[in-house]
Amino acid sequence: MVNPKEIRDYAAGLLEQGRVKSVIGYRRGTAGCFAEPCTLTEPGEAGSLVWDPTCLNNLALYLVKDRKQQAASRTPDRRPIGIVAKGCDSRAVAVLLQENYFKREEVVVIGVSCEGTGVVDPRKLKNSLKGRSALKVEFGGGESIRITTRAGESELPAREVLADRCLECREATPKLHDVLFGESLAERGYDAPFRAVKAAEATSGEARWATWQHHFDRCLRCFACRSVCPLCYCPECVVDSTSFVITPQTSAEEKANRIRWCERSANTAESALYHLTRAIHLAGRCVDCGECERVCPVNIPLRLLNTKLEMEAFEQFDYQAGRDYDRPALISSFRDEDPNSFIR
Amino acid sequence: MMDNIYLPKIGRIAGIEEETQGGRAIKTFKVEFPDGDGFEHACGQCAMLSIFGRGESMISIASSPLVKDYKQFSIMRMGRVTTAFHEARIGDLIGIRGPYGNQFPLDDWKGRDLVFIGGGVGLAPIWPVIQTAVARREEFGKITVFYGARTSRDIMYKADFERLKGSADVQLSVDAPEAGWPAYVGFVPANLMDKAPSPDNAIAVTCGPPIMIKFVIQNLGQLGFADEQIYTTIENKMKCGVGKCGRCNVGKDYVCVKGPVYSWAELKSLPQEY
Amino acid sequence: MEKILAKEKLRDWVASLQGCEVHGPAFADAVWNYAKAEGDIDLRHTNTVGSVKAFAFPQREVFFRFEHKRGERPSLVPTLPEPRPTVVFGVRPCDGRGMPRNDTVFSKEFKDPYYWARRDKLILVGLACIEPHSPNCFCQAAGGSPCSEEGLDILMTDLGDRYHVRGVTAKGIEVMERGRDAFKEASGGDQAAVAKAHEAACKEPQRTFGDLVAIPDAIRRNFEAPLWDEMARHCIGCGICTFLCPTCHCFDINDEVSSPGKGERVRTWDNCQFPDFTLHTSGHNPRDNLGMRLRQRVSHKFLYFVENHQTQQCTGCGRCISECPVGIDIAAVLERVSQS
Repeated sequence: MVNPKEIRDYAAGLLEQGRVKSVIGYRRGTAGCFAEPCTLTEPGEAGSLVWDPTCLNNLALYLVKDRKQQAASRTPDRRPIGIVAKGCDSRAVAVLLQENYFKREEVVVIGVSCEGTGVVDPRKLKNSLKGRSALKVEFGGGESIRITTRAGESELPAREVLADRCLECREATPKLHDVLFGESLAERGYDAPFRAVKAAEATSGEARWATWQHHFDRCLRCFACRSVCPLCYCPECVVDSTSFVITPQTSAEEKANRIRWCERSANTAESALYHLTRAIHLAGRCVDCGECERVCPVNIPLRLLNTKLEMEAFEQFDYQAGRDYDRPALISSFRDEDPNSFIR
Repeated sequence: MMDNIYLPKIGRIAGIEEETQGGRAIKTFKVEFPDGDGFEHACGQCAMLSIFGRGESMISIASSPLVKDYKQFSIMRMGRVTTAFHEARIGDLIGIRGPYGNQFPLDDWKGRDLVFIGGGVGLAPIWPVIQTAVARREEFGKITVFYGARTSRDIMYKADFERLKGSADVQLSVDAPEAGWPAYVGFVPANLMDKAPSPDNAIAVTCGPPIMIKFVIQNLGQLGFADEQIYTTIENKMKCGVGKCGRCNVGKDYVCVKGPVYSWAELKSLPQEY
Repeated sequence: MEKILAKEKLRDWVASLQGCEVHGPAFADAVWNYAKAEGDIDLRHTNTVGSVKAFAFPQREVFFRFEHKRGERPSLVPTLPEPRPTVVFGVRPCDGRGMPRNDTVFSKEFKDPYYWARRDKLILVGLACIEPHSPNCFCQAAGGSPCSEEGLDILMTDLGDRYHVRGVTAKGIEVMERGRDAFKEASGGDQAAVAKAHEAACKEPQRTFGDLVAIPDAIRRNFEAPLWDEMARHCIGCGICTFLCPTCHCFDINDEVSSPGKGERVRTWDNCQFPDFTLHTSGHNPRDNLGMRLRQRVSHKFLYFVENHQTQQCTGCGRCISECPVGIDIAAVLERVSQS
């Protein structure tokens, strides 16, 4: 089992030695039992780092945020950043490296293996506690999660409360890392990859359309799924007509003639356009960290859209986003053996 | 039945004057109310103009309230709606609702000297108060109008300035030297210091690019103007115009309702979110 | 008016509301939200993820349809809603307290006809929170109570096998009259049981922060402090906090065109956390970073609204805390501001 103290000591060491300007990790939050992201800049702060099944966030997002800030800054600070990364998070870092978002030496990946478990799904947890709130959620060792409520402590099989993405995870140990905490387990007895999307695909086209109409109709267009995604880093977004980059040099014509691909109205058609565009833009890039689905306040199963495309990438091209950061990305590479029947 | 505050009246573009050309072209539009349902306005107020299918924009009313037949708007081509206005022709029908916002307290300024300092398209929001003060010339002391633009081609209301010279001291400037320019060369705040109007019993009113306003206010302070003697008008992005959509606020004030006119004394007490 | 409703009689009361649209909490897609009620209403909900504001201020409201060919007169057809009376069950007191605040916004200076067309037809049937429905409830710190009647037309209290039902407004009493056969008179014992339940509810633990009255000054004192940037450091700038909020009312207006010259002018919810919310056409943005936007959200609720309307624009429902993907916590922000 991973000892959080080792992570703290390592983070403190990085900061002490001046190897990084900051370490992005998890700390106890104030809003319930879940951990929240934190950015440490002093070795003395490392004591606040935690590691448990409530470390839900994909922190690679904050590497992107920092890069955007430095790009806008008059005095950019490009010293490396340390980041605590689970398997999925490190895959996101790998895709960002593949896409030259930053350089390998600009990030120190503090890899943490999820070992036999992963992170919990807050909704599953709530359901299993019949609406009550957990006070503490810890690894129970092996494939179990230990939960403390006002009523006391109990141990649950991890399968019951783990996030779906963890159940389908192919690589719970970060392959890309500078240091690794925890054991690397080859076999985890959960679901086969793409189980959920395969199950969804088994239904009829009409049923799928009805399901997605229902979900798109519920979308609030709060854009949390896009905002939380470390790979949705475009400075301007095709679905968001008003947030394109404007500089003093942008001409009136450019602003006036910008096509509004997507209206702000949160209706079925516009929201479908938003989600499908986003899914396509993540094809061959989505690392299945499941953040989009986790943050959705109305619980739209967004993972299905992305994993569908990742399944295509895997089955057609034997490609897994984030597996090899030093190989070319799917979209920007061609091999003779790639299926090309669509050309004929 | 409640008034539908979001339903515009129909306006007819009765005249288009090309003020300046180029990347920051300005056109002045005369808008009439063909249905006879026009509204009265006060100096400093704005109206929400729209081209159906393109959207709405808040534009300051540049004509004097004394002009009853039409309203005048000077619009710089900046984005979606303003470009649509620049593509409009005489006779086109538009949407117009308003008037919105507060006003310059012109009646409180009776008997005082008035110093107006405008730059670029920032002349438009203070133009109605200049026009009104000149029309009620005997009620005020000395009237001075400073106005500057990048080049002589960028000067708005050229014909009006000629007429204005009869009743006010007009001080024009251009940013850079050019052949045949008879007046001041340099930025507006510098021209202000050069002419150094007296703060005694005076009110200064300024509008222009944010950087100009900043230095004009600084310089007015150096000339001895108190914060209460300085007025400006501010802008923020607006959508509703009626204090509800939540984006134009500066601190507790929605600019569309409590603004856009502020004395520097008032504005200083608000957060700098404009 | 005070009555007792046996739990199995709720169905009869709902059935008596013919001609009305009835909504109540429903658990679907793993979240509680309001849905059209058919037959029974399940009142075992925590709080709905969406707030009750949407009944008067829907996410999308068409102001008017337009059709305009150049040279011709534009035709504008206003689309003022004409809803049937709409009864919403299971409204938590925090959401109830949100509505008078929204009423203020949509009345002051100019009355908003679209909001009021819906609001006038809205009847809110509240349900007291016998226990906090989330660890992030702070209605008491925000000046309310888990059994507050403010903004509600009727307040129901769960007494185990029965509900105590109190008509608060004339509109509410009328809705109770329509289902009079479902109710029994409340006895002295029932009244004592309600008083006891409310008293116990108010003693349930909740989130707290400093003195509510001192907060405006604390915000003013810290307005330029770096703590806003620090606390917003991990904000992702999404719309969850404001879209779910029972009192956030900011909106956008756009022309949505279906074919050349033809379309609708539409109001949609907007959000002060989006970067383009205040972006000028020139590219200048008066609130151009997340710290300023967090400060705006908190100041709007706990400073500006107090200055303009003498009350907070937050009722402590805790949604923005519970649903924030990165743990931004308005109660923690207020606590820190109070202590700085």
